[in-house]
Order: sequence, then C-alpha cells, then structure tokens
Amino acid sequence: MGNAPAKESRSRSHSQASTTSMISNLLPTILSSLGAGRSRARSYSGAFSVNTNNTNSAGLLGILGGSNSIGSAGGDKKKRQEEKVKQKELHYQDLVVRYYENVDGGYLAPYGTYKSNLDFNTEIVRNLVIARRLAPFYTPLQDFDPSWSDNELVVLLSQLTLHLIETAYSEDEDEDDDIDSRKLHKSANYYRRQEQRTKLKQIIAVAKETQKHEEQVFLEDKLKLKSTQSQDQSQILDLPSRDLLLALYRNASECPICFLYFPQHFNISRCCHQPICSECFVQIKRLDPHPPHDDPSQTSSNPNETPHTLISEPANCPFCAMPDFGVTYTSPSHISTGIEGMTKPGLFKSFANIPEDDSVIMDVSPSSPATGSSSLSPQRRSRMSGSSPVGGGYPARRRSSLAASDPAVVTIDMIRPDWEQKLISARNRLARKAATATAIHASNLLIDDNNSGRSSQAGSVLLRTMEDRMVEEALRLSLLDEEERRRKAQEDT
Amino acid sequence: MAALPKRIIKETERLVSDPVPGITAVPSDDNLRYFHVTIDGPDSSPYSSGVFDLELYLPDDYPMCAPKVRFLTKIYHPNIDKLGRICLDVLKDNWSPALQIRTILLSIQALLGAPNPDDPLANDVAEDWKQDEKRAVQVAKEWTEKYAKSKEIATTSTTEESV
Ligand SMILES: [Zn+2]
Ligand SMILES: [Zn+2]
Repeated sequence: MGNAPAKESRSRSHSQASTTSMISNLLPTILSSLGAGRSRARSYSGAFSVNTNNTNSAGLLGILGGSNSIGSAGGDKKKRQEEKVKQKELHYQDLVVRYYENVDGGYLAPYGTYKSNLDFNTEIVRNLVIARRLAPFYTPLQDFDPSWSDNELVVLLSQLTLHLIETAYSEDEDEDDDIDSRKLHKSANYYRRQEQRTKLKQIIAVAKETQKHEEQVFLEDKLKLKSTQSQDQSQILDLPSRDLLLALYRNASECPICFLYFPQHFNISRCCHQPICSECFVQIKRLDPHPPHDDPSQTSSNPNETPHTLISEPANCPFCAMPDFGVTYTSPSHISTGIEGMTKPGLFKSFANIPEDDSVIMDVSPSSPATGSSSLSPQRRSRMSGSSPVGGGYPARRRSSLAASDPAVVTIDMIRPDWEQKLISARNRLARKAATATAIHASNLLIDDNNSGRSSQAGSVLLRTMEDRMVEEALRLSLLDEEERRRKAQEDT
Repeated sequence: MAALPKRIIKETERLVSDPVPGITAVPSDDNLRYFHVTIDGPDSSPYSSGVFDLELYLPDDYPMCAPKVRFLTKIYHPNIDKLGRICLDVLKDNWSPALQIRTILLSIQALLGAPNPDDPLANDVAEDWKQDEKRAVQVAKEWTEKYAKSKEIATTSTTEESV
C-alpha cells in the first residue's frame, strides 16, 4: 500500500511529460508549415552619426528581408539568438559613460545611481540627448552647498568619476519568468536560458571593464591637461573647462526623485512643470503586463476581456499622476558644447563679465552665423530662437501643459517602444501556460478513466477528443505566434 | 552590501530633523533600509488612544517601487489583514517615486482615520463594518485598548527618553 502513491505519481508525471512533449512536438511542425523564417538585424548608428528627426520611430531598427527558404527552423532560431546577444552587447556598451561623448557638459549614459530598469532603448535615448530633446546625463553631486567657493566646487567636481561603477548593472534583469526552472524535467529551453544568462553575465562583465577603462582614460587625460599647456590634442578638449563646470554646477539644484544635485537644466514634466533628471526619467516605465483590476470603471470600458487578458498602461506622472508621463527639455542657450554643439567643452569660456557683443560664440542666437549651426536640426534652431536670452541665458520656463502627443514631448513609451511587444509576449506566455494546464487536465482524465476500467471504446473516444483539443490548442498558439511575428516585422519596417 | 543611495540617507536625515507629528520612523542599526515605525491613532478615530507599531522596508528598487509596510500591532480595520498587510493604492500600483517614507506613513495614518470597507483586505472585518458600523467601531476601540500601546504611556516614555 505504501508504494502505491509513489507509483501512481510516477506514472502520472510520465504521462504528463509525454503529453506536453506532444504539444511541443506539434508546434514546430505547424510553425514551419506557416513559413516563419526571418532574421532581424539592428543597424547601429554610433553617437556621431545622428538622425535627430527619427529618434522615436522604429526606423532605427532595420530589418533584413526574408531569409526564408534557407536553413531549418532551428538554425533560424540560433541566428535570432545570436542577434539577440549582439543587441544586448550593444545595449550594455551604450550604457558605458565615455567622457568624449558629451553634450552641454553632460553625457549620453546614466551615472549608475540605479542598477536596474536599464532596459530602455539606449540608442533612442542617446539620440534624444544629442538632439537636446532630453537633458544629458549630468554627473550628480551627492551634496551641494551654495556657500562653497568656486575653487572648492571645481576641486570637488574634478574628483568625480564618470560612473558609479561598484553598484553597476544588476544581473537579474531578465524579464522572463522562468517556469522551467521549477520543473523536474528541465526542457531544452531551460538549458538555453541558462546559457543566455551566462552570456548576459559575460556581457555585463565586459561592459564593466569598458567602463573601468574609460575611467582610466578620463583620469589620464585630466592629468595630461594639468601637466601640459598644449591644448591642441583634440581629445583633451573634450574635458570640460573650469568655466563650463562653474556655469553648470554653480547653481546646482536637487532632483526631487533621487535627491542628487545637478545643473539646473532639468527635464520638465509636460503636465505639471516639475523638474526631473534624465537618470530618473529613464527609470519611469510601464508596470509589467498585469490582469485588469477589479475596478468596475476599468472593466466596463473593455467588455471583451476574458479572465486571461493582461493589460499594460502608460506610466503616470510621478508628481501629479497624469497618465502618459512625458517631459520636455530646453537646452541652455548659453552653453552649447560637445556633440552637435557650438564648441568643445574644453574651449568653453564664460563671458559673464564681458560686454554683450563678445559673447556671440556662446550665445546662440538664430541670426549669429556661428560655426557648426548647419549641423543643427531645424527644430532645434527654432527652439533656440524661441528661448529668451534673459536671466543669465537660462531658457524661459514653459508655462502651459503640453499634450503627450506634442512633438516637443518625450514620453516614457518613446524610450521603451518594445512595451507592446512585451505585452503580446506576456499574453502568449499566459495562453501557453493555460494550454499546458489543459493538457495536464486531459491526461489526468485519461488516467482516471483507465483506472476506473471503463470500456476501451470510451477511452479511445476520450483520447481522440483530447488529441483534437491539443491540436486545436497548438494551432491557436501557432496563430498567436504568427501574429506576434507579423507584429514584430511590422514594427521593424 | 552596496552603499546606501543618497535619497535614502537624506530621507532618513529629514525624518529626524523635521519629524512628522504622531509618526516616528527609526532605521535599524544593522540594516538602514529597515525602519521601526510608530503611528499614533488619529484623533476622532476608534484608534485614537493607541500607538501602533509597524515595520517598513525599502526594497532595492526604492524609490522606483514602493516601500513594504506592515502593521506589527494587531489592529481591527477593514483595510488591514491579520498579518498586518495594508490595502492602500499608493503602496501598490499607485506608488510614485515622488512619494516618500514620510508621505506613505501619513497616508497610512489617514487610512486609520478613514476606513474604507468597500475596498477591503480583511473581508470579515469589512462585512462587520458594513453591517453594523457602530459595533465595528466598538471592536476597533477594544482592540486598540488591548493590543496597541497606550498613547499616554508612550508619550511620557518618549519625553523621558529625550530628557
Ligand atoms: Zn533624479
Ligand atoms: Zn505631472
């Protein structure tokens, strides 16, 4: 008697495994019959070749046309996997702060205050910073005291690193809930994911090394600048001048989210005009896809919802809870250095005490035929002409609220355009879980039926209906996959 | 353990330098993300005579996700369950990184003053509350007497400490 339950559970788990494997065997066949062969490629545009008008479109991600007939589904999968790894590599390399990649005294990647939620599209964000539509990532000051002398402030600033390396990048970024890891029989997927995790760790380790290297370069160049008076090495000119440091940090103010001090050129919330630093802004994102709340006002608006539906909503403004959080940014008119700027940060001179007409180089007025203005997008030029040069060159603050669709607004969905894809994937995962549950349920029915010793005819009828159900389910899932694939393709083109 | 983010350090400092009336939050010595919290029951609520103990923990992702807060003192309230878990929107989906420990604790204090049986966490309590509010308020008072620290004793002990 004592052995009976063990025996039963063994046979059950065996049949369970075989039914699920039946489904997973069916899937590739159906999939390949639908001819789902393709590969994605990301055309990487470096920091210096910028397309400022295109930053929020999916145009940055290119798609290489159909690689259909060539290669089996497995080879294709491998290719896609490699592509994914390559993208992750680029992503983490984009998160490295390099001092020569600077805009108005700030950088293209965050300082490292937050170690997770770094899954924003780095390429889009970098380009938004270069286009001066999002504040650059300024190195934060942990403390600030307005009574500090200029010298004290400059000494403090010159000791800052580019990145808070020791707490950088958490490794548990992987969004996928790994159901396989809790199973007794680990599937091929499980091992593949393990492999991916190891890969990710390697990529992060490489990124950390790159950051360390960049810190070293930064330090050495700072020392070089101190020791020599020859300032003609172009890279050293990318180190901020004393004037630039003071112009930026003399009136540092606190970001209301991270409580760190930054130059006061903040992003401004579109709805309630609150400042937010770029590092905090890129942290704000949609909640993970979740079932709708039992809030009657929400369910009534979506009458077609089944219990399995997951939803995703744009994030609210952290300050006033207005849906669809977005910000605008106006770059300081008296500072225009670095990439697509008027001058190198090392050449920036403050003309605060010198008569107006000498400040032409720094004060970007639309009529000034300053060098490099041709590289500015028309949008930027018009925004600059709109900003008033009064008040020490600080742009006038916007007074009215702007719609999320306003072209000047950067929304949180723009920097994570994959939210829709994530929602679809989450929905499909849920559907797949439900299908597995159905199969398990059906196999349990079979066992029960066998045990009760009914006629074999009844058993075979049941078996047939079960197979029908599984085929149906597999078809439904493959259709979902196909839909997802088509979506992806659409997004990429 | 990684260095404590500046935000947490500053919030802790400000909780000390500019305390919220009726609320204390003291970080634990061995874990600066873990706070011992007390909240005075708001006046003109069934909890007015008591001081309630809570624990508050700031997860790694704070302030991008809400602090975890729980009542340690047993309390009879439709939005607080047997384990002390609190049903409050700002602790869940309506959390905003612009909120702070201070504002969250004030929200919890406000919840004590305004129980909401229509959005319950403790269903049995909520039922009692809806069926016979007078009686429910009476039970809440009794529980406060029984389980919470008395406000008077608590205040005298804190003044003694500060002297
Ligand atoms: Zn911030
Ligand atoms: Zn707002």
